[in-house]
Amino acid sequence: MRLLEHEAKAVLKGSDLPIPSSQLITNIYHGSLPVVLKSQVPVGGRGKAGGIKIVSDKGILQTTIDAILALPIQGYLPKTILAEEVITIERECYLSLLIDRDSATIRLIAHPEGGVEVEQHTTDFLNIPITLQSIDDSAQQAAARLQLPVDLVTPFIAKLFATFIRSDATLIEINPLILTKNNSLICGDCKMELDDSASFRHPDWKAYENQASSANFVILDPSGTIATIANGAGLAMATVDAVAAHGMKPANFLDIGGGATAGTIIAAFSKIMEFPDIKAIVINIFAGITRCDEVAKAILEAKKSITKLPPLYIRLAGTNFEDAVSILASENIPTLATLEECLLAAKAEVTHE
Amino acid sequence: MNREVMNAKNVIVQGITGSHGSFHTAQMIDAGTNIVAGTSPGKAGLSVAGIPVYNTIADIKKDMPVDATVVFVPAPFAKNALLEAIEARIPLVVCITEGIPIHDMLEVKNRADAAKVVLIGPNCPGVLMPGLRKLGIIPAAMGLPGSMAVVSRSGTLTYEVAAGLTARGIGQKYIIGIGGDRIQGTSFVDCLSLFQNDPDVTAIILIGEIGGTSEQHAAKYIAQNITKPVYACVAGHEAPAGIPLGHAGAILGSIDESANAKTAALASVGVQTFNSITSLVQSVK
Repeated sequence: MRLLEHEAKAVLKGSDLPIPSSQLITNIYHGSLPVVLKSQVPVGGRGKAGGIKIVSDKGILQTTIDAILALPIQGYLPKTILAEEVITIERECYLSLLIDRDSATIRLIAHPEGGVEVEQHTTDFLNIPITLQSIDDSAQQAAARLQLPVDLVTPFIAKLFATFIRSDATLIEINPLILTKNNSLICGDCKMELDDSASFRHPDWKAYENQASSANFVILDPSGTIATIANGAGLAMATVDAVAAHGMKPANFLDIGGGATAGTIIAAFSKIMEFPDIKAIVINIFAGITRCDEVAKAILEAKKSITKLPPLYIRLAGTNFEDAVSILASENIPTLATLEECLLAAKAEVTHE
Repeated sequence: MNREVMNAKNVIVQGITGSHGSFHTAQMIDAGTNIVAGTSPGKAGLSVAGIPVYNTIADIKKDMPVDATVVFVPAPFAKNALLEAIEARIPLVVCITEGIPIHDMLEVKNRADAAKVVLIGPNCPGVLMPGLRKLGIIPAAMGLPGSMAVVSRSGTLTYEVAAGLTARGIGQKYIIGIGGDRIQGTSFVDCLSLFQNDPDVTAIILIGEIGGTSEQHAAKYIAQNITKPVYACVAGHEAPAGIPLGHAGAILGSIDESANAKTAALASVGVQTFNSITSLVQSVK
């Protein structure tokens, strides 16, 4: 889950890390000028898209607020604007913590020149593993790379690392990390990603706007003609690949995961029914921990509760597969032996229409 | 990874009294696995499928040796269960549990490596050695004893390949699902080295997916170390960039993480690559 900037900064503030003074507004701003108005959308590139404006003149304040609220960025329309004090910048740096999958370490990344152009630097970042035990040493290296005093950088990194661990973060990127005219550090912007798997130990995450979006249902093409349901990410991806390889337009990716219930299947069908052009639904289940008979019962129940469902092409294999076939057959719902057969039948349906 | 560790004789199940644990304990026994005990804190004295339940691994080890453990403990408690197995120096730990927090796995992975414990998973279907044993949830009926070796990041595609091979009469020595999480124990490379060093294995199938660069690492290792034929398929050619697809690890970030880039890396070192599991299964010899 990616936090909005104001949410991420609230987390930083909770750890006693310096952020600009600010207020969150929905449509009116009563504070002092000048002010930076920042669109609260969960994507990068806001500045270039026109989602960040500095306003010094009261005459254009309201029109600027209205314009930002009306501007979608990469498909996201802001519900709020973060109105921040204008910081006098001496220099902009870059600092982040992230998890590296290959080395199974948390890494500290730093560069003395931050800001929007930071991605132009590709090779000369400091990129070192950091642990609780190595903080002082890591901070020393970071201070050298950032060209900042060690006694300024060390407490900052210690707090940032503690926040990273405590928050179950997978990424905290401070860019820019601003060095002010009076030689203090302040977090100009923050991108923070939290591990959805850890939500069970963070009840407070329920307050975040960008709720753990269902990674299991992804829209690929709103005008797609074939909907897919599969269990397991790999099989779901392979099913989508196979639909496309047969020259059809897959509308979605859907992994119903292990242990599907009637509720899961009804939710899947309901979501699919939101797509106007679906001509067929391909269900591809290969059960290990899932049990096919439970999926079959769920399909029956879902089919009863949703009318005008497009034709289903069902392939079931794995745990309790024989029971599932007879459960479906008892209600005259056929199953096919292979995905290939499902795709050919679905293709005939699509072309027939 | 050596062959010895895969020949686990005495196997235990952590979380044996849960619905998945008890169901799959019976299935593993049917598949030839010698399950000797299980754990479920506070439930010592019970039995599941005729297998005695203990509170802790330490208690089991007072009564019998343990070569491997299969972990079905729910995600919030999985870290402690895995650390318990690692501290007990069980040589092979197979973790089926999905949804374990990444920070928990960072600690588990580093502790397992330091203790030289082989960890397979988490969020994986485990290992099936047809006719011999299974440690996990791969339906045993999908397998056929033989000499093919399969390694996959995706559980369901693991089943798909096994079933396809079996339907064609091509038997398998190892079917290993390593899981698709961002932090995982055993890698493609670990499994490739096992397969290369096992004289019973005649050919290798590798199933990858978008996200990360472990297929590129595998390609590099294959170029330098593998003399047996390798067949590969990478899922997710139609995947959009930047959106997680199911698996915590299956997210396409940089271009290196795409199915096309991975397929190209594997093809460049002589691996026979396919864009669908069906065509792969039909083409292997």
